[in-house]
Amino acid sequence: MKKHVLLVAFSLLAGITMAQQKPAAKDQSAVDDSLLNSLGGNTKAEPVIATFKSTRLINTETTETNKKNTLNFIVTHRFGDIGGAEGGSKTLWGFDNSSDIYIGFEYGLTDNLDIDFGRSKFEQLLELGFKYNFLHQTSDNSMPVAMTVIGKVGLKPYSVTTNVFDDYTNRLNYFTQLIIARKFSSRFSFEIAPSFLRTNLPFPFLPGNEKNIFSLSAAGRLKVTKHMGIVLDYAHPFSNFRNNSTSPKFYAPSGIGIEIETGGHVFTLNFSNNQAISPINYLSDTESKWTKGQYRLGFTISRVFDLNSKHKGTYK
Amino acid sequence: MKYIALILLVWFSNNQTSQDIYVCKNAKINLFSSAPLEDIDATSNGGTSVFNASTGDLAFSVPIRSFQFQKSLMQEHFNENYMESDKFPNASFKGKVQEKIDVQKDGSFPVNVTGVFEVHGVKQNRTIKGTINISKGAVSLSSAFTVACKDHQIEIPKLVFQKIAETIQVKVAANYTAYKK
Repeated sequence: MKKHVLLVAFSLLAGITMAQQKPAAKDQSAVDDSLLNSLGGNTKAEPVIATFKSTRLINTETTETNKKNTLNFIVTHRFGDIGGAEGGSKTLWGFDNSSDIYIGFEYGLTDNLDIDFGRSKFEQLLELGFKYNFLHQTSDNSMPVAMTVIGKVGLKPYSVTTNVFDDYTNRLNYFTQLIIARKFSSRFSFEIAPSFLRTNLPFPFLPGNEKNIFSLSAAGRLKVTKHMGIVLDYAHPFSNFRNNSTSPKFYAPSGIGIEIETGGHVFTLNFSNNQAISPINYLSDTESKWTKGQYRLGFTISRVFDLNSKHKGTYK
Repeated sequence: MKYIALILLVWFSNNQTSQDIYVCKNAKINLFSSAPLEDIDATSNGGTSVFNASTGDLAFSVPIRSFQFQKSLMQEHFNENYMESDKFPNASFKGKVQEKIDVQKDGSFPVNVTGVFEVHGVKQNRTIKGTINISKGAVSLSSAFTVACKDHQIEIPKLVFQKIAETIQVKVAANYTAYKK
C-alpha cells in the first residue's frame, strides 16, 4: 500500500513538474524567437554597402567600383574662374570658359574590379587604368575600413614644336593611389588616400620641377537627406618644388559641393580651386587660389548602365 | 505496473507539443511591383519560419540583405535608401492561424493569419490570407499579399517617384520540416 501511495505521489509530482514546464515551453513568441534565431542567418556580418554613392566625389575617387557588367558613363565639367582677372561679369562669372572637361567610361569586369578610360581637355590627357576594391568594411567591424587601389597610365598625345616629346615615353604619366574609406554611419563616410604620381616629363615643364610627387587626399560625404549630401575634398601634394616656387605659385586642390542621387544618376555640383579634373593634372598643376577668386563652378554627371543582356528595362 | 503505465502516459502527453513544431530555413519570398518606368522584382531564399501546429502560432523572419535583384544598383538603393537595412536588418511577421489545422489530415486549407507585421521598423497589425498544404505529414505554406510603402514609412522621394510603385506585392512560399530538439 505504501509503495502504491508513493507511486501515485510520484506520478502526480511528474505531472505537476510537466505542467509547470508547459506554460514556459508554450510561451510561443519566446520559443519562436529563440527558434528563429537558432535557425540562423539573421545575425551574420555583412559587407557594408554604399559607402559612397558614386565612384568619384569632387576630385578624389572613392572606394566604390562598378558591379560586374555595368558601365558608368561620366561627364565632368569645370567652368572658368568666378572672380579675379579671368572672372566677373565679362565671362558671366566663368560660365563662358571651361577650364577642363572630362569624359570617362568605367566598366565592371567583376563586382570589385573596374577598367577605366577617360579623356581630359586639360593637356588632352588620355588615361587608362584599373581600380580594384580588395577589402570590404563589415557590419560587425571585424574589418573597420574598405580599401581600393587605383593604377592608371596617362598619355599626352598633342603635337609640340619643341623637342620635349622627342622621347615618346615623356608623354607618359603614371598614377597609383590607395583609398581607405570608412562608413561611420548611414549619413557620414570619410576616406583618406595616399598616392604617388610619376610624370616622365615634369609638369608644368619648369626648371627644378620634380618627376615624382607623393600626395595625400582626404574627402568625405555627409548626407542631408537619403538622396542628397554635402561633399568635401582636399588633396595635399608633398612637393618641395611646389612649396618653394614663387612664380607660378602652387596651391592644394580642394573642393566643396553637393551630391544628388536619382536612381541610376548621380549629380555633383561643386566649387573647386583646381582647374583640372584628372589627378595626374590637378596634383601637378594647381595654380589657382580660392582667395583670389580663382575658383569655379563644376559638375559631374554619373550614369550607370546595366549591360547584362538578360536584365530588362532601364534604371534611370 | 499500472502506475508505471500512468507515469509514462503523463510523460508522453506532456511531451507531445514539441512534435507539432515545424520549421523552415529557406522560405522563398518574392517582391514585385510594376511602375511606369520599371518593374521591381526581387527574391530571397533566406526566410526563416516557425509554425506551431498545436497552438497555431506562426512566425516569419527574413533578412532584408538577402533579397536579390537583377540590377545591382537597384539592390543597393533598396537597402540603402528605402529599407535602411543597416538599421532595420529584418522584416518579420508574428501571428496566429485563426483556423485549427490538423497536420494528420492531407489537404489544402485556406487560412487567415492575424498578427504583427514589421517592416522598416514599423509594426502593423494585419490579417494575411494564405494556404497551408499538408501532404503525408509534410507541411507547406503559401501566401500573397500587398504592402503599402507609406504604411511602413518607406519614403519615396519626389525626384524618383515615377519609378517606384507605392504598393509592393509580396509572395511567400515555405516548406516546413518537423522540428526535433
